[in-house]
Amino acid sequence: MSARHLSTTSQSGRKSDLRLFRLVFLSFTGFMVFYSVYLFLGNVDQLFVGEAAQGSGELLRWGEDREVMNMFAGGFWRDGYFWKSLNLTLMITLITTIVATVTGIPTAYALSRYRIPFKGAIDVLFSSIIVIPASSIGLCLIVMFNYGPLWDIQQELGVRVVHSIFPGMVIASFVLSFAMGLSAWKATFDSINPRFEHVARSLGSSSWRAFWTVTLPLSRSGLIVGIILAWTRAIAEFGAVLLFCGTFAELPSERFSALEHALKIDQADWLSVAVWSQIEYGNVEYGFALAFVMVLIGFASVYIMHKIGAKGYIW
Amino acid sequence: MVELCDVSGTLGEFSLVDISLEVKDGEYLVLLGPTGAGKTVLIEYMVGIYRPDSGRILVNGRDIIPLAIDQRNIAYVPQDYALFPNMTVEKNIAYGLESRRVPGHRIIEIVRRIMKRLGIDHLKDRMPLNLSGGEKQRVALGRALAPGPDLVLLDEPLSALDENLRSTMAKGLRKLQQDTHATFIHVCHNFEEASEVADRIAIMNQGGLVQTGSLDEIKARPENEFVARFLKTRNIFHTVSVDGAVSVNGNTFRTCSDISGDVVMAIRSENILIDENPGLKEVETMQARVVDVMSRPHFYEILLDAGMPLVVYRIQNSLSAGDVVTVHIPREHIIVMRRRYTGQHGSFM
Repeated sequence: MSARHLSTTSQSGRKSDLRLFRLVFLSFTGFMVFYSVYLFLGNVDQLFVGEAAQGSGELLRWGEDREVMNMFAGGFWRDGYFWKSLNLTLMITLITTIVATVTGIPTAYALSRYRIPFKGAIDVLFSSIIVIPASSIGLCLIVMFNYGPLWDIQQELGVRVVHSIFPGMVIASFVLSFAMGLSAWKATFDSINPRFEHVARSLGSSSWRAFWTVTLPLSRSGLIVGIILAWTRAIAEFGAVLLFCGTFAELPSERFSALEHALKIDQADWLSVAVWSQIEYGNVEYGFALAFVMVLIGFASVYIMHKIGAKGYIW
Repeated sequence: MVELCDVSGTLGEFSLVDISLEVKDGEYLVLLGPTGAGKTVLIEYMVGIYRPDSGRILVNGRDIIPLAIDQRNIAYVPQDYALFPNMTVEKNIAYGLESRRVPGHRIIEIVRRIMKRLGIDHLKDRMPLNLSGGEKQRVALGRALAPGPDLVLLDEPLSALDENLRSTMAKGLRKLQQDTHATFIHVCHNFEEASEVADRIAIMNQGGLVQTGSLDEIKARPENEFVARFLKTRNIFHTVSVDGAVSVNGNTFRTCSDISGDVVMAIRSENILIDENPGLKEVETMQARVVDVMSRPHFYEILLDAGMPLVVYRIQNSLSAGDVVTVHIPREHIIVMRRRYTGQHGSFM
């Protein structure tokens, strides 16, 4: 058997392997896509919670002593609780993301570029926050703010951080948002050779100018992806916010400040907490609807991240 | 003028010890040494990326160690050129001028002139990603020279290029330096590369400066065995010198050296003559048998057995294995160095 024949045979062998791989991959992917579409279309009516769901009696059997919240007919988007919760969540996450970005990007740059004492320990601390259960983070925050010097300061100032919208929700969502963003921003700066800045400075550029004209443009995609990650992590936060802040939907109107009334975030919950609380109260379909909104937000965020993150410099 | 006075420093596990060196205005100095010798660390001290623990670095009489990188007016061309990927070639070259707030019309004029001199005006609007190795090098040089630095530091500028291009670019570098009268310090680990560009060479090893001088000076009088080997001296023998005479495997050589005791004898391959009596009075002569003849790109390498192995380089050759020849070695080309105990690795140099 000639070498050419062997070569041709092995090439056709590789081609048939590739065809088989493509067949299996496309079949699997196709199955997942079509099955997901089927599930969605089969249950889409649950988005439109109507009185029929209550009429079945099943909901009431779960706990007659519980109130069925927000009785309405058809369409969760007609419910004020949904819009207030969405408003609350988006507003707080915007504040959180801005604070995380303003503090996180310089921190990431310093951790990436400078020799800082206990740099390894700081790195481990921030990275650990991502892997520690959010409920544990929430409990840690409760202990931190309800005991010791921080509690004394709150007493002095007449404020209460735990179980508050401002600053409670901001703090609870900030911790994980900052940690997530920091890891992305630090990875971005680590991937950019500091030699660019050295050369820029050797050409007479100040540190700030070297950062602004060279490092920042090169890291733009990564920084934006980090910001989106920080925001997405904040909006998806559940355990820390639930434990540190609790729910607000059942509280009386007088409990909320004039600002919270003006901003239309009174008697509303963090969106992921709202999903949980609705299911807890028996409004499964409503919880499903809220969860669906969060899934849409998540998909949109990831899509934007991929679009932006796909652009990068090769050097 | 650039002056390094007892510069020492430690970076991690590596130490640079008492580096003292002078570079004249308009000189092309090559810092030569094996990988890990400390060449790049020294360059980084001069650029200002790191600060030495002690010593002074003077540029035109000014100690630059307390100065930040951007205040030193020292251009730095790293090994990978580090062209800014987010800027065109023109913007890269203009960067230093913009940093120094040179007026816009002057920037355009200077950048155009430099691009023309380097033959890269056709690359004006290209991005660095789309440039070849040689083009990147020229853009990096243009960027370094545009602001008119006091000193240009080149860290292995030719290592990323293939051999043919390396030689062409080395000549180009040399010409550029001569035309601009800039002071260049060029780091490399390749002796041939150094020989194509250097006015003077400073050889480093294990964090210290071993020898400085012109190429001819160092070749003729290497400081120690390390330098001789690094400069590709092939005939090196450990022996004992008594009253200027050394003996190797029964062959006795009279030398021009007055060093006595444990010595290293070295003879450069191009200085050994076969069947050609140079007509000098002081010549060592012996018979040898040709063991092998190897063809190299620019010369023939002939292995001889004269009771001791000898390697000879010749431009033309008619010898073959088995031939018996007469070898002549001018006494002035027999190098004798002291065999020093380094104390570092428990070996003699």
